[in-house]
Amino acid sequence: MQANSLVLDHVSKHFTQPNNGAALQVLDDIALNIAPGEFISIVGASGCGKSTLLRLILGLESEFEGQILLGGRAIRGTGLERGIVFQDHRLFPWLNVRDNIAVGLKNSPLASAAKQQVVREHLALVGLERFAEAYPHQISGGMAQRVAIARGLVNRPSVLLLDEPFGALDALTRARLQNELQRIWAQENITMVLVTHDVEEAVFLGDRVVVMQPNPGRIKRIVDVGLPHPRQRSDARLVALRDDVLGDFLDA
Amino acid sequence: MSRANSATWLRQQRWAWPTWPARGLARSLPWLLPLALFTTWAVGAQQGWVSPQVLPAPAYVYDTLKDLAISGDLWANTSASLQRVLLGYALGTSLGLVLGGLMGLSRAAEAYLLPSFNALVQIPVLGWLPFALLLFGIGEPLKYALIAHAALVPVTLGTLQAFRQAPVKWLEVGRAYGFSRRQLVTGVVLPAALPTLFTALRLGFTKAWLSLVVVELVASSEGLGYLIVYGRQLFQLDLVMAAVVVVGAIGYLIDRGFDALERRLGAWRPV
Ligand SMILES: Nc1ncnc2c1ncn2[C@@H]1O[C@H](COP(=O)(O)OP(=O)(O)O)[C@@H](O)[C@H]1O
Ligand SMILES: [Mg+2]
Repeated sequence: MQANSLVLDHVSKHFTQPNNGAALQVLDDIALNIAPGEFISIVGASGCGKSTLLRLILGLESEFEGQILLGGRAIRGTGLERGIVFQDHRLFPWLNVRDNIAVGLKNSPLASAAKQQVVREHLALVGLERFAEAYPHQISGGMAQRVAIARGLVNRPSVLLLDEPFGALDALTRARLQNELQRIWAQENITMVLVTHDVEEAVFLGDRVVVMQPNPGRIKRIVDVGLPHPRQRSDARLVALRDDVLGDFLDA
Repeated sequence: MSRANSATWLRQQRWAWPTWPARGLARSLPWLLPLALFTTWAVGAQQGWVSPQVLPAPAYVYDTLKDLAISGDLWANTSASLQRVLLGYALGTSLGLVLGGLMGLSRAAEAYLLPSFNALVQIPVLGWLPFALLLFGIGEPLKYALIAHAALVPVTLGTLQAFRQAPVKWLEVGRAYGFSRRQLVTGVVLPAALPTLFTALRLGFTKAWLSLVVVELVASSEGLGYLIVYGRQLFQLDLVMAAVVVVGAIGYLIDRGFDALERRLGAWRPV
């Protein structure tokens, strides 16, 4: 699928609180233009509305103010041109790895032979060919997250949304999967929106880093990383940027 | 690694007794208690702890069982009982699946039906008996109805629970990939419900099988429950024991059958 620009046009979101019926503002006037194929990182403390923002883009929540445009058209509901990787991998425990990846293709227009081929390719993309028959409870958390990434990619979406995909993993696995994600992104020409509370991860992967602040969730500033991919973690410029962004949270 | 293997592996981890051959021990553990009971029975009968009229020796019960098998009585009574249970279970389970499915998938149905259902199931089977006798007479339909009732309660409540817990996190995955309502039900709600559903079906069968003897106590001239009543009336405790052994063995085998079926159907288990 052709990469498309994603425009968040002054998006705000209120929830009605279940206990007292009062409105709780979670997102305030989010404005962001994301170029086709761009890698956007969103960092912010927990509770500042990052997941809510992704759910709006994904189309799981349709009540909000403002507009979300993909390729110039307002999004309506969910769509196969937008993929998602949730924080808790959310694989179906009753399906093996191969069938979990195929879940993404359930409503794709491809013929069934083509679907099998696509699933095989994506098993290879995330390096899990040998685990095609394994069930989610038989694989590690890192593998499960790779399966979830493969499931998010099988439709060749123009945008892949990632909600703290590596948050629950140990540091070594996390670093490995970050490299892997960078490779996949470079290879697939897909717009990626990665939500994280890990500043280092945000800076390492993002073309731009959107720093959010809470109550209500809003954009504090947008940092241009401006370094070519693939990057080295130890790059002095990355380290400096990381410290710069971390400063936003320390003096908040 | 197959699922069965990983389950065994887990169990071995839990029973990690360093100095024992873990595999052999794990396999023999379930047999220890039955073996101890049987030994007590055999020794007690031989030593005359209880009068043989009250507690016949295992060998005597075995002979009785053999005689029953040779004369064909065993098979006639067993098949009568099995037929009753299967029919009653099928009735109760079908109704339970429909009721529970309805209440689990529709809040409105639950609001209408669940309070009455909960009130009605508080009444013990024997409380229904006079009414059931009037309604169904004393023949076979009465037995089907009582067995169906026994299976109905756990199956309905289990089905309700299985569908009600349809997990939002998986439903959202379905929605993200454009699942239709129907795909959500067949692709998410049903498979997610399967383990709970299976437990309910299994429990329903246990209840139905247990109610069999009670039902056959009421009025019947054949069946395993009848053998027990008959044996008691004639004070032939060997006959009672033989029938009890058969009831237990069949119940156990069918439960194993459920287990195997569950594996075959690939019902996933929460880990
Ligand atoms: N469905 C909901 N109803 C009411 N409040 C919600 C709902 N979902 C999220 N919130 C609230 O919105 C705020 C932002 O949540 P979230 O988007 O999950 O933040 P983050 O992902 O940044 O941690 C939180 O205060 C949370 O309690
Ligand atoms: Mg979140």
